[in-house]
Amino acid sequence: MSVTEPAAPASAVRASRHESFLAFAGFRYLKLAVLVGAASLVLYLADRPLGGRYGGSWAGYILGTVGALLILWLTWFGYKKRSYEESRWRRYLAARQRRRGVAPTSQQQEREHGERLAARLSAHVYLGLVLLLIATLHTGFHFGWNIHTLCYALMCVVILSGIFGVFCYAHYPRIMTANRGNMTVPQMLGRIAALNEDLRRGAMPLDNATTALIERAVEETEIGGSVWRQLSGRYPNCATAAAIRGMDASLAAAPAALTEARRQVRVLLDEKAALLARIRRDVAIKAMMEIWLYCHVPVTFALLAALLAHIVSVFFLW
Amino acid sequence: MQLEVTLLTRRGAAVMHRTQSVNAERVSFGRGTNNEVALPDIRVALVAAVLASRDGGLFIEARGDAPIRVNGATVPMAAVGPGDEVLIGPYRLLFAEPPENYDAALSIELVQPMGDALDMLVAQSRIGLGAAAWSKRVLSWIGFTAVALVCLAVPIIVYSGGLVPSWREVQPGLTAAALFTLSWNPGELSNTHRQFAADCAACHQSAFTAVRDGACLACHAGVGAHAEKTAELGPLRGRLDGTRCTACHEEHRGLGGLVIQEAALCVNCHRNLAETAPAAGIRDVASFPAGHPQFRATLVADSATGRLARVELGGKPPPRDAPGLHFSHAAHLVKGGFPPLGYKEMVCADCHVAEPGGLGFLPITYERQCKSCHALKFDRTDLPWPGAVVPHGDDSGIVAAVWNYYAGKALQGGIAPPAAPVLVRRAPGSPAPAAELPRDALAWVAQRAEAALREVILDDKRGCAYCHFGSGPQGAFETAKFLPSPMAPAASARVRIVAPVVMRARFLPKARFNHASHAASACEDCHAARQSASSGDVLIPGKENCLRCHGPERAALKVQSTCTTCHGFHHTEFGVMRETGSAAR
Repeated sequence: MSVTEPAAPASAVRASRHESFLAFAGFRYLKLAVLVGAASLVLYLADRPLGGRYGGSWAGYILGTVGALLILWLTWFGYKKRSYEESRWRRYLAARQRRRGVAPTSQQQEREHGERLAARLSAHVYLGLVLLLIATLHTGFHFGWNIHTLCYALMCVVILSGIFGVFCYAHYPRIMTANRGNMTVPQMLGRIAALNEDLRRGAMPLDNATTALIERAVEETEIGGSVWRQLSGRYPNCATAAAIRGMDASLAAAPAALTEARRQVRVLLDEKAALLARIRRDVAIKAMMEIWLYCHVPVTFALLAALLAHIVSVFFLW
Repeated sequence: MQLEVTLLTRRGAAVMHRTQSVNAERVSFGRGTNNEVALPDIRVALVAAVLASRDGGLFIEARGDAPIRVNGATVPMAAVGPGDEVLIGPYRLLFAEPPENYDAALSIELVQPMGDALDMLVAQSRIGLGAAAWSKRVLSWIGFTAVALVCLAVPIIVYSGGLVPSWREVQPGLTAAALFTLSWNPGELSNTHRQFAADCAACHQSAFTAVRDGACLACHAGVGAHAEKTAELGPLRGRLDGTRCTACHEEHRGLGGLVIQEAALCVNCHRNLAETAPAAGIRDVASFPAGHPQFRATLVADSATGRLARVELGGKPPPRDAPGLHFSHAAHLVKGGFPPLGYKEMVCADCHVAEPGGLGFLPITYERQCKSCHALKFDRTDLPWPGAVVPHGDDSGIVAAVWNYYAGKALQGGIAPPAAPVLVRRAPGSPAPAAELPRDALAWVAQRAEAALREVILDDKRGCAYCHFGSGPQGAFETAKFLPSPMAPAASARVRIVAPVVMRARFLPKARFNHASHAASACEDCHAARQSASSGDVLIPGKENCLRCHGPERAALKVQSTCTTCHGFHHTEFGVMRETGSAAR
């Protein structure tokens, strides 16, 4: 993802971030992936081993080797594209450029860095997708209850979760921006903190029961929490919602003298509830954008182990 | 509009004032630095409110998401004047009497500093899945380790430690160890090998080594060779001997079986055998059906010597068989059967009895197939026991049977017409003469026997000649040396008078045609028996007949047929494929 995208021309539709990596360099990696996929298909069709196509024919071995190398490469670059650290090679190049007095400006460096990230992500996505084809051809469409199919299944899980990740990157930032409006999360938190103080002040003249409700709403402001809580955005024990319900329930019994004070507190509660809903939605969206990685990354490592077992087993019992 | 703005900052008891003057048509308040009055707090919107003069009065209007409060009331817009209090987020704006030349004066104070409230809120919020005590690193390690253990380490331990006992010793069962070895199974085993599917070591005798022939020969020692040991195969001999079992028999390729069926495997050598191994005399085959030569049937060339010949079918003139027999299929398959004799219409199965397994048919014998209609009877009357029948296949027994029959008849007094008793005169007291057979009875027997034998052998309706050829030149029956002299019936008993018969039970011995699997077709679909009046007709159809149903190995609308559909590779008649001791490969 480019962090320093050059400003798009006013006439052009502003490209959002995900588009920038999917369309990186005129879909360079999409083209590469299509090429690799087509080559794999040709290889698969060209090879007609006796007894039917399978992973142990020469084409099967080539497809398997390419697939395994792709898995290692994708894992490595999946790691690298998240790492902002410069590689030694890049540091060396930069140092040499500085010595020659042709060192790039920091802006240039930043732009280059952003482009590298976009390139890696673009390559990661498209080559990851084509891996699905390569590995499927490698199987020769033979599946069973064994570690070989487990390896394939894990790879499918990784790729599918990756596809979901791309969808998240494409879909959620817009929703997130729309949800946030003009506010940032720290702003929302600050605003809620302020509202909490206002609530405390405003609840002073109210009866004990209502004050207790308000105090609980202030004390137990629940934002985030367990994975399910974050993902679902549902907070069934929300103290603020409980306070609103409680106040509405005791409306009739409230003395007339406190009507104005209650109204003020009620308005504050509504405002807080609205803010909470927004920030919780923000948390939920963020969690959605994060959750697939909790599948993508660990399953990748399980896949690496299964791949190792797959390759070793085939040659161990040749 | 001229505005005096005083910023108040409290440090303990001390209050610091900073006054600035603002001159603008509209004065905006907000977090942003481009506001006329900046309120640098995160809880304030970029532009939170705008103060403007209208109709001589001052109005404040909320702009941000958060409403403003004027004198404690939440309002979108309000008129303000000296003494009014406006809350914008954590800031309090107090309007005062403006000094001279000013339109308004106000003091601004941060009354709700961000402090404990925010800290607490942030502390108790758990945002981000990492905060929910999930770690990708830990999960990754768990995933990697678990899979590496279960899928790699344990199966290796189970195999190397021999934890799955040999299937020869222990009845295979689905034990935990078996589950681990089965998890490595790269594909379904063939059905016959499934019984030891969990016992990897049964075939994979050592790690990182391809399966050796010895592993196969442990069970399949007697498997037949492909060609005679002495066949001159040229360079192909070495290739044949060097081919490992697994070259053609690939395991883990599914339940269907482990024999590779593709024609390419055979055609690899057989496409140019005429060139590479001319001495073998095998015709080239490139494919089926296009590259397959016409079938050659093994026919009898000379029944007397038993000489066979391989003759191509479908040629002109049609090939002839020479079994040494007169036989007409057409004459047997007449419509309506044989009512005068009381026989129904015949069908193929009356004579052609499938052998057990149904591959082919039991050999045709006189006893089984012919006798019930073609009894070898030579006289209408019987002795007290059935006796007027000559034995089949026993030439020497024929004379004895006929002679004995008429001798029996004579003893029964069957000599007709009965002659008057011969008077024998003798002296009184002299012994009675020995009771010798009457000379005329013996003559009668000899005469009747010769007549019967002539008929039995030569009659073309009831005798041997009806079906057989004689053993003399051009199939003649040499009765002269066969017929007994009246007084010495056994003298010429050892002479053979009927020429030998050689009938083929298999006409295409190099192929394996299974009649049982073709049982749905009528016999006549392939064998034109009704049109055949001669035993020399070859009723085995040629290749073109098969092609009515059979097509190439990838045919879409015909029976997919490949080499192994009809041909086998291993032939036990050529000896064993591999000597067990030499199978180090």
